[in-house]
Amino acid sequence: MSVSREDVERIARLAELRVEEDAIGPLAEQLSRILEYVARLSELPASETARPFVAGPDAIRLRPDEVRPWPLAIPPAKLAPAFREGFFTVPRLGQFEDAGSLAEEA
Amino acid sequence: MTAPGDIKALARATADRLSKVRRLNALLTPMTELRQSLARQAAAAHPSGVLYGMPVAVKDNICTLDFTTTCGSRILEGYRAAFEATVVGRLKAAGALIAGKTNCDEFAMGSSTEHSCYGRTLHPFDRTRVPGGSSGGSAALVAAGAVPVALGSDTGGSVRQPASLCGVVGIKPTYGRVSRYGLVAFGSSLDQVGVLGRSVHDAARVLSVISGRDLRDATCEDRDPLRLPTVPEDLKGFVIGVPKEYFPPELDPGVRRACERAVRIMRDLGAAVREVSLPHTSYAVPAYYIIAPAEASANLARYDGVRFGPRFEHAPDVRALYRATRGDGFGAEVRRRVLIGTYVLSAGYYDAYYRRAQQVRALIAQDFRNVFDRGVDLLFTPTTPAPAFKAGEKLADPVQMYLNDIFTVTANLAGLPAMSVPIGRVNGLPVGGQLIGQAFVEDDMIEAAYALERAVPALEEAER
Repeated sequence: MSVSREDVERIARLAELRVEEDAIGPLAEQLSRILEYVARLSELPASETARPFVAGPDAIRLRPDEVRPWPLAIPPAKLAPAFREGFFTVPRLGQFEDAGSLAEEA
Repeated sequence: MTAPGDIKALARATADRLSKVRRLNALLTPMTELRQSLARQAAAAHPSGVLYGMPVAVKDNICTLDFTTTCGSRILEGYRAAFEATVVGRLKAAGALIAGKTNCDEFAMGSSTEHSCYGRTLHPFDRTRVPGGSSGGSAALVAAGAVPVALGSDTGGSVRQPASLCGVVGIKPTYGRVSRYGLVAFGSSLDQVGVLGRSVHDAARVLSVISGRDLRDATCEDRDPLRLPTVPEDLKGFVIGVPKEYFPPELDPGVRRACERAVRIMRDLGAAVREVSLPHTSYAVPAYYIIAPAEASANLARYDGVRFGPRFEHAPDVRALYRATRGDGFGAEVRRRVLIGTYVLSAGYYDAYYRRAQQVRALIAQDFRNVFDRGVDLLFTPTTPAPAFKAGEKLADPVQMYLNDIFTVTANLAGLPAMSVPIGRVNGLPVGGQLIGQAFVEDDMIEAAYALERAVPALEEAER
């Protein structure tokens, strides 16, 4: 299994990760090495199976359906520049360039 | 037992001890901030708590209100969580003092604590070596005597491996025994909060406090906290399995000798020791290094420069912002794992890698069930293939680094409890033995560890 430069660029795009030009070559080599190693799994006959394993409880336990606010150490009003009546206020679309309007609207 | 009047002095003494080991680069919290926090916590701690006055350092991927939570990553530089992890809340409610945040491999991805944006942590007994990882800061602080106990997290061995390399006790509980609420997610089907302690009793006591049901984590089982076992007189009635696959020819001879001595001790204490087989063991590391990066690539998608931490560049649009922030914010090992995870989940590769790895995971879990169904109570193995290695030795080849986890990843894949307990030294470097228990039967494992802890030093001395 060999990973090409194009493969690295493709998966970096999928992963929303910028990779510098000079890092692509070394990354292709390292990813190839890792994928060659993990490809050992294909040595196992496909006929060897077991009942699927899922970590954790057999069934997800649901909480009672009741509103129970869990306190935050930092109140929402302090998490954002503008907070009013339980809502974060943000600039209208198209007004991003006018940062000054945020404070006025709030 | 700490008296209420002593706790302020104890908090100061803890800060002094931590200050003395600063050169290890094991603690990320600045000393002034730590001193102030410890004084505040000491004043607020409730004297009736079972851990009243016990200083506990916390790995930096567990959310705390008192300190920043950076996961050793630039992408979370300065991040202060708006809530605290259940495990931290329980420690504080029990009167423990949170003694700062410990260095770790970035997002707990690594086996040497060399992959932290804050620099590597040094091994407390040989500064040219690594303390193991990813909870290397926690292990180094406990081994250096700065704190009796520290929390870590264990996704593929990140509590047990550094515990082994530093000569302390490290417990990874059964998946679902301890709440993961507030533990920064890496591999959600594998992650567990674990405890590193200077003694089995200290580690088990803290595990007991942090364990038990938590409505905030749906993967946490609806069970009471772990009840502490008593220290056993002997190991009569225990059947201990020794899996042959964990003793390959390339195992370090010193580690092999230490394990053979530990097995002799358990047999002398009355345990029945049997050789057993876990035939799919050699496929565990490849399966783990597909599943864990796949889960990591999904979990780390949230770090985009919008919701957490700093943004690294004035980007022309939002996608460029994501890419620039993630490209600059993640270190080399995290980038590799995010890319591998994205690759194995992508169209055309999912079946060959991810689905196959899940099938192998099921086979590994079945191996353990088969052994335990045949009357074996516990398994005993080496924790690591060799003692602590030199810093930089395995950085160039990621696969060599991954192979350090060869004996520890199986317990994570199967969701089982496992712990490392010191069983001797090789050329002055500590070596750990691993006990793997049945799901939710941590008490058997802890009992056997108590017995080893008591017997190993005496025998080691006698053989010198």
